Amino acid sequence: MDILKDLAAIVGTEFATQDPSVLSDYVSDLSFTEGSRPEAVVFPGKTEEVSSIVRWANEKNIPLIPVSSPIHLYGTTVPKQGGVIVNMKRFDEIYEIDKVNRLVRFGVGVSWEKLTAALKAEGMRVIMPLAPREERAVATDHLEREVTTSMVYDYGEPTQSMEVVFPNGDVFRTGSASAPKYPYSPARGANPAGPGLDFYRLLQCAQGTMGIVTWMSLKIQSIPLIDKIKFAPLDDLGEGISYLYRILPRRIGQECLILNRVDLAALLAEDTAEFEKMRGRLPEYTLILTISGLIRRPEEKIAYEEHFLEDVMKNEFPQIVLTDYLPGFPGADKKLMNILRTAWPKERPYWKSVPKGAYQDLFFITRPERVPEFIERMKHVAGEISYPFDEIGIYEQPIEHNRACQLQFTFYYDPDCEESADTVKSVWKKAFESMHDAGGYFTRPYGETAERLYDRAASYTAALKKVKALFDPNNVMNPGNLCF
Amino acid sequence: MSINKHAYQAIEAVVGRNYITDDPADCEGYRSGPGGYESGTGYERVMTKIAGAVVMPRTTEDVQKIVKICGRFGVPFVPYSTGFYGPRSHPHMEHELIIDMKRMRDFEIDEKHFFITVQPGVIYSQIQQECFEKGAYVVIGGGGAQTSAVANLLNDGWSPLSFRVGLPQRRILGMEVVMPDGEIVKMGSLADGDDPFWGEGIGPDLRGIMRGYTGLLGCLGICTRMAIKTLPFQPEIPKPSGISPETALQLDPKRVRWINFTMPSLESIEQAHIMIGNAEIGGAVTKVPVFWRAIAKAECKEDFWDLWLKETEESVSNFFLVRVLLIGYTSEEQMDYDYHVLCDIIEELGGKERRTKPSDESWFKNADSAGMWLMTGSYVSVDYVMDTFTQAFKQGPNYRDLKAKYTPPLMPDCKDLGWFQSCEMGHLGYYEYLIYWDQREDTNGMDQFYVESAKMNIENGCYPALLGAHQPLYLTGPAYGPGYHEWILGLKEVFDPQWICHPPLPLAHDEFVERAEWMHEVKNWETPEEFPYPEKLKENMRLEK
Repeated sequence: MDILKDLAAIVGTEFATQDPSVLSDYVSDLSFTEGSRPEAVVFPGKTEEVSSIVRWANEKNIPLIPVSSPIHLYGTTVPKQGGVIVNMKRFDEIYEIDKVNRLVRFGVGVSWEKLTAALKAEGMRVIMPLAPREERAVATDHLEREVTTSMVYDYGEPTQSMEVVFPNGDVFRTGSASAPKYPYSPARGANPAGPGLDFYRLLQCAQGTMGIVTWMSLKIQSIPLIDKIKFAPLDDLGEGISYLYRILPRRIGQECLILNRVDLAALLAEDTAEFEKMRGRLPEYTLILTISGLIRRPEEKIAYEEHFLEDVMKNEFPQIVLTDYLPGFPGADKKLMNILRTAWPKERPYWKSVPKGAYQDLFFITRPERVPEFIERMKHVAGEISYPFDEIGIYEQPIEHNRACQLQFTFYYDPDCEESADTVKSVWKKAFESMHDAGGYFTRPYGETAERLYDRAASYTAALKKVKALFDPNNVMNPGNLCF
Repeated sequence: MSINKHAYQAIEAVVGRNYITDDPADCEGYRSGPGGYESGTGYERVMTKIAGAVVMPRTTEDVQKIVKICGRFGVPFVPYSTGFYGPRSHPHMEHELIIDMKRMRDFEIDEKHFFITVQPGVIYSQIQQECFEKGAYVVIGGGGAQTSAVANLLNDGWSPLSFRVGLPQRRILGMEVVMPDGEIVKMGSLADGDDPFWGEGIGPDLRGIMRGYTGLLGCLGICTRMAIKTLPFQPEIPKPSGISPETALQLDPKRVRWINFTMPSLESIEQAHIMIGNAEIGGAVTKVPVFWRAIAKAECKEDFWDLWLKETEESVSNFFLVRVLLIGYTSEEQMDYDYHVLCDIIEELGGKERRTKPSDESWFKNADSAGMWLMTGSYVSVDYVMDTFTQAFKQGPNYRDLKAKYTPPLMPDCKDLGWFQSCEMGHLGYYEYLIYWDQREDTNGMDQFYVESAKMNIENGCYPALLGAHQPLYLTGPAYGPGYHEWILGLKEVFDPQWICHPPLPLAHDEFVERAEWMHEVKNWETPEEFPYPEKLKENMRLEK
């Protein structure tokens, strides 16, 4: 079997390779996941080519690993059983920005840098997770259900329609983009649901196991005319969380998050030395809230939100002090506002690289009121293996009016120090088990977490396997991930 | 009639003799119609049967045991909560068991995290009142507050209150489903514990197989527990007023107000929807069919016709009214802000505010159900879809023109364009088209219109709500996706290889077209020589013939 010849016949010789130096790029990512070397990398440029590759893989029984982004964080694209990397970077076109219907449709290879720049030129933006890398593919983050920093919209996620090549090679459009004649149809693809089933839900967090997405559309918003960022130092995290229970259901704010001093220093510092200085001076936790004046009467909108916040603080939460600046850190307000609304520039080291060079995240969904309990648990876990708790980043992201939140712990380490990496591996694993045992809900099973999560959710797992077997009977799509 | 007697005895042993019956009088009470959604159609006459027996389980374990017994004895069953969904929620086979979920009526509200966990016998009216008292509200679908919240959310679930969160499936959190093979599948955070607060995952989200834009009408299992998102409201509890059926909720105008605006044109109404959404204000924006005004004013059928017959095509086509709901979610000051922004927009578009009653007659609690049959006795929405306003405002003329060919038997509505509203802050434009007819007349044209509307949408490239089991699957399936029907049929085979869960859905409308002679003249799509039923179902269908 000549894999390269077969692939070249589909995409052309310049878009298929078995060059060892290229293959080695895919052996690892920013996680600890260990995998195998792929046998080839193919760069399709058209949906039909993706379809042909998938049909070929079924015929030859060769695993395919779809890759949309040049940066991967959780081991999902590291081959577990060899196979062919399907690199989607040539799908890098923004097909349309529809300002009337407030949607954007773009290829899965489009980066945050490209998309945000194009939207900004039109006075629009898309809600985003905290500081995604400029070069990371937007679609990857939304397919992975990354939680955004904006918590004011009831509809939560901005994902709309997608085009997918299913594991049998069929090309399919989800949601209202499934209409005949799309994109030249009255249906504009704004509705993610249907047809018949909610296919988009089966594709999200599937890590490429349910098919290869080629493009997607997202909701977009007008850029606010006025933004204000506010900070509240929190000595008592529980009090801060109670405050959020009070204000966020009243639809206050655009972005809202709580960071501990480690994560906030990492976000703001230019280098490791500054990080260390800032970490020592910042409060243990800081609540960050933006309020925005939208496209009409922006001052009045800011005013009613500020009046509400003042009333609540004065009458119910006198301990909370919300200021327009981060005390002791001049300029941090503007800097952080910019961080919340733009992707992380590729010229600068990523903020999570600032403390020690590398990191591992552990995140899950929970009720905000349980956050202090999980943090106490983390202290205990860290203490058990003598890992310094005060070096752990803590980030609480409220979701949809504080109905729930994502709690994220970040373990920073020196990638050049084997001992440091081993310690983080160890604390990460123990912390995962501890948080899971305590009821942390891990909706995104990566790497070795998957086995434990799916084992405990036996009925769900059995049903999911049945669905997978229907869509991908030969299990060619990214095998070795999730429970497949 | 009845069902297999061994199955009956086994089920009786599960629920007790008080909660199962095959008494013909009891079963007759579950007959589809004579009023209700989609009643009085050819589909109802041809496809629905009287139940062989009715059972009322109390727990998920009861449901699981019943389903397994049905599987063992090959007894077809259909889950049934309030029966609003007309013929499609009723038995389609002889000797079929109705599993009536009304005894499963527990609910629990989590006011702090804005969700409510319900069993399928719980209706919206109950939970809406609880929500009001806890500073929240739920979106009551157009089916009305008397419908089961679970059934409504699994199948439809829209109203003007969908402005803040449009897609009903976004409001479904953790859920528990007894699959047709009797296995219990827990979804969302329920999959990994007993807290249903979160809906996604683990990994790929299996809620995706429970419904699409619209639902599967109970042919892929029975939901026994569901957590539903509620939405933050404002603190003033709306007060009920009036004497049934003329009831309303009195609103505190400082915190909740419906405001009607007369607009100069249909285009200005479209613009108002778009601009209000873009300004991110309000709790609802809608333009309803003109004849709804007559329904609202009428106290009886005769009243309605007295009012409606005064309208003309000209008066209807020149009636431009947009209705906006403002909610002071944050404060009275926020309410003022929204009002000022709204007035700016309306003024720019040349509209004018009208005096509006400080009450809600329809949407927060009652929805529109009771009055919908007032005029002719029969009604159905042939489309209720969200895409964009680009699609929504194109569909109105399409439906109007097609309907003209089928009027009568459809009720003359002076060429009204239908119902438009804004969902998800204007990101989604909603369109609904309702038709009415008198079921005592020859209604073949109604059945034909229904299917012709699907063909029209395919031809025009529009995305309709009525896909899946709502239309012939082999008509819409090849057109949308394309080929979505293959996946539905595949899942049916995977989870219900015997096709005992509400057969012959999802192919019931295909079956109807084959069986109803008057449908043959509109059938111009391909179907397989034999539908892919299991042999046992084919045999049962042959026996029924």
